[in-house]
Amino acid sequence: MAAEQTIEPGNRIASRWRWQWLLLVFPALLVMGVVAFATLKPVKVLPRVRPAPSFILTDQTGQRLTNEDLRGQTVLYTFGYTGCGAACDPLNAIMRSVQDDAARYATDGLPITLVTMFFDPVRDTPEAMQAYAKSVGVDPARWHLATGEPARLKQTIGGGFEVYYTPQSDGGFTFEPAAVLVDPLGIIRGEYRAQAQTLDTKIVLRQLDVLAQEMRNNTAAGRLAYEAAHLFLCYAQ
Amino acid sequence: MTAEKRSLHINRLERRWIIASAILLVIFMLAITVTSLAGGIAVPAPVARVNPQTVDKEGPFANPGLRELAPGKYEAYILSQIWSFNPREITVPAGSSVTFYVTSKDVQHGFHLDGTNINMQIVPGQVSRLTAKLDKPGEYNFICHEYCGLGHAAMFGKVIVTPK
Repeated sequence: MAAEQTIEPGNRIASRWRWQWLLLVFPALLVMGVVAFATLKPVKVLPRVRPAPSFILTDQTGQRLTNEDLRGQTVLYTFGYTGCGAACDPLNAIMRSVQDDAARYATDGLPITLVTMFFDPVRDTPEAMQAYAKSVGVDPARWHLATGEPARLKQTIGGGFEVYYTPQSDGGFTFEPAAVLVDPLGIIRGEYRAQAQTLDTKIVLRQLDVLAQEMRNNTAAGRLAYEAAHLFLCYAQ
Repeated sequence: MTAEKRSLHINRLERRWIIASAILLVIFMLAITVTSLAGGIAVPAPVARVNPQTVDKEGPFANPGLRELAPGKYEAYILSQIWSFNPREITVPAGSSVTFYVTSKDVQHGFHLDGTNINMQIVPGQVSRLTAKLDKPGEYNFICHEYCGLGHAAMFGKVIVTPK
């Protein structure tokens, strides 16, 4: 009886530790899992940069084009003017390579659309835009050329997409060549700028693949994995 | 056996302090995790790479200065070198949001804009970027706060915010 009494406290400690070690192991596994996810990045996403601006423009056929018309589509934007010549070649090359391979980046029910915004509604008339479209090989079903009222255009392109442009005395424009990728929810997911050396066809195509994959797999349990990837900044290069 | 287990016994007061400090550590870890991931705290990160030898000849730093993206929204490209900023002075109307892009031509510099959150390390070859909303009219000095040589103390400039 006396012997039992001395052993009892020891037994109590042992039996308590039988389940208490779980209190340490579960948080440790959780932390290790989070660190492994954040460092190994099994799921990669494009950052959600900021909401894309709204706009009301007129396209090359004279029809109205708004940001709401493009909701539910992945949209790649570029900016220029019909007289920009060789300065716009890198931008048009990117757009053409996306246009040629559009089926690859479109997902079920979420097509990919291209939009080039023009700075100068006076010179960039629908006729001028149509002629320009022919010269750069635009597929009108997929690629819109559009312009609008100058003050609003400045708010959209400069304020919203953060692409700088300013008129020159000869009727041309000084501008920073850039492409912007917007997802079907209307959120900017990629900015490709000459000044940051990211205006490159390879980078744009690679990131379009990443976005298309997210749009395809972002359902049910996959959604949690993608949200985790956003939370832990697992960004694709 | 029993005696060994008993020897693990920790003084009650000591145990309380150990638990309290462990809880504090957990709170600090959570605070860092939550603020960095969910609080939207932006650490100044390199936004672009440039060649410091040619940065003053091509690209936006060839003509550094202020440019207007849209009414009330500006970008300021500032090139730093020993021992000055180019430009030394920029003027914007009150209520503007100004994004500063700063890089260095030579050694490491710093960029601190008084009265705002703008505080960046300027590393040659990289562009640092931060945005400030300047609502109050007045003069805001920006200084180099990273020791860069003999003339370090003379390396400053100012942002003039004019009333609307």
